[in-house]
Amino acid sequence: MASGGIGWVVAVNLVIWTGLFLMVLRLDRKLRDLEKDR
Amino acid sequence: MKSRFAPAFKLLLWAWMCLVLAGAFFYAPLAAGFLGESSRILFFHVPMAWTAFVAFLAAAVWSGLYLARREPRHDRAAAAAVELGFVFCLLATVTGAMWARTMWGAFWNWDPRQVSIVLVLIFYGAYLALRGAVEDREKRARLGAVYALLGLVVAPFFFWVVPRITFSLHPDSIVNTRGTIDMESRMLQVLLASWVGFNALFFWLHGLRCRLGALADRRLEA
Repeated sequence: MASGGIGWVVAVNLVIWTGLFLMVLRLDRKLRDLEKDR
Repeated sequence: MKSRFAPAFKLLLWAWMCLVLAGAFFYAPLAAGFLGESSRILFFHVPMAWTAFVAFLAAAVWSGLYLARREPRHDRAAAAAVELGFVFCLLATVTGAMWARTMWGAFWNWDPRQVSIVLVLIFYGAYLALRGAVEDREKRARLGAVYALLGLVVAPFFFWVVPRITFSLHPDSIVNTRGTIDMESRMLQVLLASWVGFNALFFWLHGLRCRLGALADRRLEA
């Protein structure tokens, strides 16, 4: 695979990982809010 | 319950996994004897399988603690570890099948390694089914704990023994039968870094799942 092709694979994977990370971070915050309410 | 992971640690995990991703594609060399770039899947497939093993081991430890102390938080921790271990194991199976499609021409080949990981999935899938089938919380926790302790025999057997006693087309285990590691140093660095990252991700997710379980239990009690 050309290095340009690999660059795209890495970029797509970084976007997916960042998206998943932000989703978990949001879940973490929501949980903290719920715990504060109780 | 307070989050066990500080914000700085979460950011570090994000950056760590970004570096692992970059390292897997730009730093580590290709392994000999693999088609094209297919050897790079190693940096994700193997750490996910190892993380699943850690999760199943942790589930057995928490189950033992539950049987000894009868504290619901240990039951919640064991169940959460199996749930997450199941997901990591499933991801390892899928990435393994993708690699098999490239190297062996088919996603499924009845290779002993493929069969053994699916048997692990069936075993822990049955644990989740068992928990889902019992309504009484105390009974569910007790049965689940005993079942998860059985995993102390099942998981090591399928993860570590089967690959060493059967003939398989699968590449050699990272730690081979002579107890040594035959791997290029940069590949090993990325592999271990990836494993550390996946483990940190597992323990973060596990903490969240336990907190969610505690909230749900409190709501049921209210």
